[in-house]
Amino acid sequence: MSRLWLIPILAGLILISLALGAASLSQDAGWLLMVSRIPRTLAALLAGAGLALAGVVVQQAVQNRLVEPSLTGTPEACMLGLLVVTLIAPGMAVAGKMLVAAASALVGMGGFLMLADRVPRQDPMLLPIVGLVYGGILGAVATWFAWSADLMQYLGIWMLGEFSGVMIGRYEWLWSVALLAGLLYVLADRITLLGLGQTQARALGLDYGQTRALGLVIVAALTALVLVTVGAFPFVGLVAPNLVSRWRGDNLRANLPVVALLGAMLVLGADVIGRVIRYPFEIPAATVFAVLGAGVFLWLLRKAAERAPHG
Amino acid sequence: MRKTFLGGLLALALAAPLAAQTVTIDTAIGPVPLAANPQKIAVFDIAALDTLTALGIDVAGVTDKVYLPSLAPVAAKAQVIGTLFEPDFEALVVMQPDLIIAGGRSSTQVAALSEIAPTIDMTIWGAGLLDQARARIAAYGLLFSAQEAAQGLTQTLEAKIAAARAAVAGKGNALILLTNGGKISAYGSQSRFGWLHTEIGLPEAVAGLDDETHGQSVSFEFVAEADPDWLVVVDRGAAIGAQAEAAVATLDNPLIARTAAAQNGRIIYLDATPLYIAGGGANAVMQTLDEIIAAFAAEVEG
Repeated sequence: MSRLWLIPILAGLILISLALGAASLSQDAGWLLMVSRIPRTLAALLAGAGLALAGVVVQQAVQNRLVEPSLTGTPEACMLGLLVVTLIAPGMAVAGKMLVAAASALVGMGGFLMLADRVPRQDPMLLPIVGLVYGGILGAVATWFAWSADLMQYLGIWMLGEFSGVMIGRYEWLWSVALLAGLLYVLADRITLLGLGQTQARALGLDYGQTRALGLVIVAALTALVLVTVGAFPFVGLVAPNLVSRWRGDNLRANLPVVALLGAMLVLGADVIGRVIRYPFEIPAATVFAVLGAGVFLWLLRKAAERAPHG
Repeated sequence: MRKTFLGGLLALALAAPLAAQTVTIDTAIGPVPLAANPQKIAVFDIAALDTLTALGIDVAGVTDKVYLPSLAPVAAKAQVIGTLFEPDFEALVVMQPDLIIAGGRSSTQVAALSEIAPTIDMTIWGAGLLDQARARIAAYGLLFSAQEAAQGLTQTLEAKIAAARAAVAGKGNALILLTNGGKISAYGSQSRFGWLHTEIGLPEAVAGLDDETHGQSVSFEFVAEADPDWLVVVDRGAAIGAQAEAAVATLDNPLIARTAAAQNGRIIYLDATPLYIAGGGANAVMQTLDEIIAAFAAEVEG
């Protein structure tokens, strides 16, 4: 299927997003667009693309399509790191926070991989469940931390991704997503090989451990970037890659741009809907997305269950 | 209505000296009969502690944090009996208080606390905050036979309210914002900060905001579009002692800078603790009123 039909939809969404806001565009439209609308639109696009790409890498690394960063305890690990930073060094610069968040995301994902290597492969649903439990445990630790430090509402803000605070000067870190996406594109073939599993990937000459580690560093960085700037968006990394793989098969090099595009579209769409429902107030984009994403997740689970007996 | 009701109760109490052992006071869940003049009191609500302190009533037990600096001397003399959210039940059993006062954040614990000692829920919440504050002062006055102190306190409060009304009159409209970790929400006249509009007479820049606990999540564009004459800012982070992102940094952006409030230097950063943690406490309310008076009095009418 051609990917070109996505372009007009995306363009339409971008136009709506630019035209839509609590302030009227009648006077100083250019200024308002520069300061508020364009940054917000770009932030949604970049965050969506980044999360979708992170989903692809995780899925290849554990050879399971029903997994994505938010089902591997990664955001919870991120938050745990952020809480510790907030307690120890509340004044730390954003770059420092980002690094800590990425590092803790990496540790959290390492833990998940250790679990994943021990989970039987026959049932594809087992791994996401293990991931949910693992994320739940990390989340419980984070909640306990936040509770005892009176930081529960900070936790709430990180947990709920949204774009109401985005404007010029407050989203620029997300541009690194574009950089990481470029890096992923270069690595696309290797990451495809990852998806074949250790034995086959090795036989094809891939340095399996190194490639997997590199992929996961990218995922950790993507997750941390999005979490720190706009918050957590569950299911984006699951929905976008799965839909694309259903439409277009599994040529990763050809698919990566489409996955990124679809992720960007979905998150921007969720943000637009969240801005419209209670105009001029806002509903967090992550809430809108979670409702839609959960539906798609259930549908994918059912499909996976149907296919499981045939391998 | 409430005043006549309380007045009636007062008359009843005075007319029946033999029954003076029991008084019926107004609480958040309606009138409750209690033994008068309890001696050993445990308090799980900062607004209640604030008002009791203003009335000169000593307490035996307080939460681990009392948030308001003005309450530090009270806390120093009292025993710690848990946190606002989690009472230390063992300490309470050992302490054997005559009365436990809960409210707000501790109101969910009322049932559990009632097993240890008589517990009243003195929550002050939402719209009509000043009326509730007045009712609490009267109730404590009755309960602790401190009616004179209560009357004096009420008079001081009314004088402050009148002064604040005079200070804000004709100075333009205002939008109340709460900042929290880089994000903002707006509060309307039916919210817990709404008394600044309804009782002090500050016109609302945006009418019809809902009375959600944490305000209406809004964008900076919303504030720019509302373009209020005044921005009244409550920094939730500062209220709970977290300093991750100060309100000033959150509002330091081009959209806010364009509002009339910012251009005329009319952004008021209220001390968040008396409003957010001790909302409705007698001294806390007066502290906020003082801040309002100081900020608005500096402005010439027009």
